[in-house]
Order: sequence, then C-alpha cells, then structure tokens
Amino acid sequence: MMEREESNIANTYRISKRTILFGIVPIIVIGAMIIFLLNSPGILFQSSVKPLPKISFEKVEFSDDGILAFVRNTGPSNTTIAQADVNDRIHPAAIEPSRMLTRLADAKVIIPFVWNIGEPYKIGITTDDGTRFEKTVNSAAPAPRPTVGQASSFAIIGTYVGIIPVMMGLIWYPFIRRLSPNKYNFFLSLTAGLLVFLGIDALLESNEIAVNSLASVFNAQILIIMVAIVTLITLMYVSQRLIQRASKRSNSELEYKARYLSHSEPDSGLSDIRSSSSSSSQQQLLIRPIAISMMIAIGIGLHNFGEGLAVGAAVLLGEVALSSFLILGFTLHNTTEGLAIVAPMAKSRRIPVTKLMIMGLIAGGPTIIGAWIGGFLYSPIATVIFLSIGAGAIFQVVYSIGSWMYHTNGSRGLLNNHWVIIGFAFGMLIMYLTGLLV
Amino acid sequence: MSYPRVVVLFSIAISIIFFAISTMLYSRSSLSDQNSSKVETVGGHTPGYPILKTTGDILDPTSSVINPKNAVVDPMKYLREFNYGRVSTSSNGTVIRDFTLIASDQQIKEVSPGVFYNVWTFNGTIPGPTIRATEGDLIRITLINHGTKFHSIHFHGIHPSEMDGVFEGIAPGGRFTYEFTAEPFGVFLYHCHMQPLEEHITHGLYGVYIVDPKQGRPPADEMVMLMNGYDTDFDTENNFYTVNGIPFYYMHHPIQIEKNRLIRIYLVNMLEFDPLNNFHLHANLFNFYKTGTKLIPDEYTDIVTMNQAERGILEFSYKYPGKYMFHAHKTEFAEKGWTGLFLVKDDTNKSANQNLNVTSARNNISYSASNFSNATNNLGYSAPNFSNASNILPTGGLK
Repeated sequence: MMEREESNIANTYRISKRTILFGIVPIIVIGAMIIFLLNSPGILFQSSVKPLPKISFEKVEFSDDGILAFVRNTGPSNTTIAQADVNDRIHPAAIEPSRMLTRLADAKVIIPFVWNIGEPYKIGITTDDGTRFEKTVNSAAPAPRPTVGQASSFAIIGTYVGIIPVMMGLIWYPFIRRLSPNKYNFFLSLTAGLLVFLGIDALLESNEIAVNSLASVFNAQILIIMVAIVTLITLMYVSQRLIQRASKRSNSELEYKARYLSHSEPDSGLSDIRSSSSSSSQQQLLIRPIAISMMIAIGIGLHNFGEGLAVGAAVLLGEVALSSFLILGFTLHNTTEGLAIVAPMAKSRRIPVTKLMIMGLIAGGPTIIGAWIGGFLYSPIATVIFLSIGAGAIFQVVYSIGSWMYHTNGSRGLLNNHWVIIGFAFGMLIMYLTGLLV
Repeated sequence: MSYPRVVVLFSIAISIIFFAISTMLYSRSSLSDQNSSKVETVGGHTPGYPILKTTGDILDPTSSVINPKNAVVDPMKYLREFNYGRVSTSSNGTVIRDFTLIASDQQIKEVSPGVFYNVWTFNGTIPGPTIRATEGDLIRITLINHGTKFHSIHFHGIHPSEMDGVFEGIAPGGRFTYEFTAEPFGVFLYHCHMQPLEEHITHGLYGVYIVDPKQGRPPADEMVMLMNGYDTDFDTENNFYTVNGIPFYYMHHPIQIEKNRLIRIYLVNMLEFDPLNNFHLHANLFNFYKTGTKLIPDEYTDIVTMNQAERGILEFSYKYPGKYMFHAHKTEFAEKGWTGLFLVKDDTNKSANQNLNVTSARNNISYSASNFSNATNNLGYSAPNFSNASNILPTGGLK
C-alpha cells in the first residue's frame, strides 16, 4: 500500500535534479556555518567563564567489592574526575574506563569499602575543579546478581505482583456478562477510571525518576510527554487498522453469526445491535470489544512492565524490603486491572478461557520481565521511556473505551448517565485506596 | 484476528527500543574495557578492605603525587623552610630584615591530586613563605600586588595602627612596605585583611610569622605546620583539609625524623569555616607552648585544639623507631586530608659523625639568632640557602 502511494507521488511530482539542489542548499549552508563556528578562533563567542561541570549518578550498587557508582558527565563540556568519597570522606577508588569523561560519557567508579547492610550512604564524586556531586542511597543492600536463584526470585515476585492479580480480576468475567446495561456502563467507566489513574500514576512516576536520576541534559520530562503522545497516536492507528482488517476479513461470517446469536441470546444487552448488523460501522462495534480488551491487556502489560522495572530497581537500590504486606498491596491494586480487561468484552461473543488466559499473561507477564531488567540492568532512562509508553498505551485504551461507550449508548450521550460518572470516580478511588497499601 | 501478530510486533518494538537504549548507554564502557591492557590495584592500604584490580584509572589522593609544576606548594620544602629576609644592620645596631611578598589572585593550581583551584597566594604558594626574625629586629615587608583585587598584609603581633594592614589596601599593581619591630617572641601569622575577609583567607592569602626569643630556644629539628582547608565548590564548607597545603601529602612522603632527637613544630591553624581544628600525635606526648610567648610549656599532652588563628609550639622526641601518624582528631578532617606520618629512624650506630655535623649545622641555623648581625654581613642569609640547608641536613644525617 505504501509502495503504491509512493509511486503515485513520484508520478505526480517528479523530482528533478534542480529540486534536489534546492533541497540540499540550505543543508550545505548549515554545514558551513557549523564548520565555521567550530573552527573560528573563539574570539567571537567564547565566554571567559568556564562552564560548570555536572556529574549525574545513574545507579549505585553495593557488593563484596565495595561500592559501585555509575556516573555520567551531563555537563556542557568534557571533564575529569579527581576523586571519590563515601559519606563525604575521601576514599581511594578506581574509575573505569577512564577518569576523563567527554560530554555525556559514562564511567563506573569502584570504591573498595566495607559497608553495612541497611545503612544510608552518600556517595560523592569530585571533578577536577573541585566541585563535588553526591548521591544518597537510603539503605545499602547487596545488588542482585543475575543468578538462576535471583532470577527465579524475581519471577516469583512478578507472578505475585503481576500475573496472579490480573488472573484473579479475570474471574469477574461471568459476573460482568450478566449485568444490566446500566451496571455494565458503571463497570466500563470504572475501568476507565482505573486506567486513567494508572496512566497518571505512570506519568508521575516517570517524572519522579526523570527529576531524581536523570540529568536535565536529557530533557527527560519532555521525553515523557513525547513518548506518551507518540504511543497514544500510534496505538490509535494500530487499533484502527486492526479493527478494519478484522471486519473486512470476517465480514460475511460475522453477519451470519450475529443473526444466529440474536436468536439464541435474546437477553443480551447488545442484541438489538447484533440483529440489525448490516452496516459496516455496526460490524465494527461487534469486533471492537475484543480488540479493546486486547489493547487494554497490552496497555496494562506495558504498565506492568514499568511496574516490574520499578520493583526490580527498588530491590536493586535497596529501597524496598519486600514483605508479604507489600505483595498484598500490589495484589489488591492489580486485581482491578483484570477487571479492566474483561469489562469491554463482557457483552460480546463468549470468550474462550484460553484466550482470557493469554490476555492475562500479556497483561501480567511483563511484570516478571520488567523485574529482571530493573533488577539486573537498571537504567533510569529506559525506565522513564517504558513508563511513558505504558502511560500512552493506557490513555489510548481509555479513549477506546470512551468512544465504544459513546457509540453503544447511542443517543443518550455519555456524560448524561450518572452511572458512568459514578463508575469513573469509583474506579479512580479504588486505585487510590489500594495504592495506599503499596 | 491478528492479535498474536500485534503482540509480536509490540514485543519486538519494546526489545528494539530497550536494547538500543542500553547499548547506547553502556557500549562505551564495555568497549574501553576490552581495549585497555594495563591493570592496577586499589584499596590495598586499608586493612580489611577489598583489593581490586582495575583496567581503568585510580582515584587516590591518599597516595598520588601532584606534578610539582602545578602543585600549590611543595610541602616537604615548606616544612623546614624559614625565611630570614635580606639582612642588614642599622646605624644603631638594629638588625633589619627585608622581605618581599608578591600577592596574586589569578593562578589555578593543583591543591589535591587532580583538583585545580583558583588560589590567591603570597609568593605563589599556600601557605605563603614562613617569615622568621628575632625579637627586636626591624622587619620591612614590601607587598607587591600582582593581583586584580585590593590586597594587604595584616601581621599578628605588636605594631602601629598604620602597619596593621586593615584600613589601607594595596591596589592592583601597587606596592607598600610594612615596617615594624618584631615583638614579642612567639608564633604568629600573617594574612590579607581585605574585604570580604573570608574570601581572601579561604583562597590562601596567609602564612606563618615566627619571632625567636633573643636567647634562642634549645637545639631541635624544627618544622612549620600550618593547618588549612579548601572550599573548592564554594559552599562555605571545606572539601579538603591539609597540613602544609596538600591533603595526605605526608602520608606518602613521611616526615623523616631521628630517634630521641628533639622535634619542634611551629603549629598554626588557618582553617576557615570550621570552628576548630586540632593536632594529635600518635604514640607520644608533647610539650605545648600556647602562642609560643613563654618559655615554659603550658601543657604536656597528645592533642591540642585550636580555633582559627590560634597557634603554638610543640616539642617532643620519639623513643622508638617506626611510623607514627599525626592528624586532626576531628576525624572528618583527618579523612579529608589532614593526616600525616612521621618516620622515626634509628641511626645512632650508622652515622654518628654525620649526626654530629647535623647538630652543629642546625645550631647555626636555628639558634644563632643573637649572632645574626655578624653572620649576615658575610653570608647574606638569603632564604633559599637556608631552605636548602635545612632540607638536606636532617635527611643527610639520617642516611
């Protein structure tokens, strides 16, 4: 399809050599300008004040070898590391690969040090101009090693925090199927409320990481918004294509099935739509619930991936003592995510259990992968990006649910229904209250 | 329905993004790890600490040496360098000592291995040169201001108001000669007294000023120790603490002294920001003469605590050979540079003759105050000669 479009364009607007020239000239001028500025004697623009250096700590690990600090030169120019300290007391250290850090280059500082489990430490780095940078670790804990034992421990945590709660939420499927339209609307908007909460939560959390662990040079806060918006519109496009293709492929089959089902299930809330499914838009309405549920599962999966990253990183950074209470909190919090998956498709065709299970795994499984990556390869910028993708995905799902409810409610309107408003508010409240446990 | 395809697409997208980011972030270090071949160890000199091998660089101010070209001072030279000035005698027989101090505030020097700081100095070093005279001498110090700011010299001791260096600053490019009689005997200091005072002091405009009693003090291996700090990131907290200008210097360059020989330390505290500083001697006690203005010790102790500008004289000798630490017993200061070592050598059998020479030479240097008027005409007693003599003699004697 893309090829066809391109060839059309090529035929209509033929690109001559002259056109290419006009396109290239500004780039050549910019290039010349850059070369001039970089090679100019420096009288023009060079300030007499040396720019202040900046060193960012991305990760601090504690091991038998001592303390490992991963630092990055996020200042405006190259810099040299002069020394390291622990709790503001100078200690001999090694720095790999080199003490010379070009702009944005990173290094690993290894401080041989006998540290105590559970105590807070401040790790300091001093640059060659005597500026000291510091990172506080609230509680020293041995860094998880990528062993089978540690990996399976993360897998168990991920299962408890991600998979089990989502699966438990899916058990609501039969219950929701039997609800009257109003109550069903209530649960759909409750789902939207849950998801909006999760989306905002992901944005706030990524913002926190961006502020605390990432240097301003990365502009991580704008990155969050960028990634979230791009994810949102990309997923909108993907889901639109998904629905189009599916409706095209199973057009005739569905038409038949819809007629058949309308006779066998007269109490279904959507029976009127199904019985009169002749126009393509109404066919879409039939397929959309499952597509929406799948998108919700993917969105929640991305969210849980971010949650897994956070859990793994918290274990790595010694910020979390994993207790059964904390696991309980996560379980309650995430059970509602299962509800979010089943709600949209409750009134469509009966969904086989295996398909439900697959959706549950898509939504909950990434927690384990996230915990592995967060615990073994923690990178704040990757965490920020994944949390933002999760947020974008979730807002896309909210949009899908909203437009789905708008269509199914027909002339009544969406915000005219008090069940919708109450459900939405209640959804957010549930997340807020269960969130207090985490 | 192509849900699986969507899922696959998504997981591929996720993994591509993640690996792109992680390779972007971590490729540099792994690449460099493979390329470099040198291996060094770190952590060995703290008992019980892990010893690590690294292919990277070592960050260790406790054992690295600064290139003398950049160093703010040579602490070993400073330790035993006493400047007696250009000596002449007035018509009434008073010894006149002329000194020249050049103030500057533009240099960038290495104050700790790898740390460069804008130092403000007298004669290019922190601490400034040690000025020494005998009670009753006429001291003339010409300050030449090569800096970009107003500077002055304020001496502690007794002198007229206009020689106090407080109300008259010397403009950049200007010069002024401070003139006063050295009195009373004791250990003093001098520093710039321009506003903002804290700034002028913390950048390094200070030094030690010693006035010997007319009758002299008993022969000893004499040294100056000035305790200071550097606030290199301007947060009104010191990043480094030192004795004689460079953190940890005497840890890797222990001060060599002789067993049973009397050691005399002129100790001055010039530490800014922190309300106190102290000196603690290991495995020994010392006689302490507060401000050095009396010939009878005030205290027999192993620690003395001082506020800024407080000072005194310490006298002790070591009974047993070996390595002995001396440091601030404010451990924070000790762990940020104010730590050193004495290496006590037992050489009574080996070089008795040399020792004799040392003792006699030392007597000439330190205790011939009353003979200076005679000696100066012949020798000129310029500072470099003295520093050479006092540097060479003790080590020569110890070999």
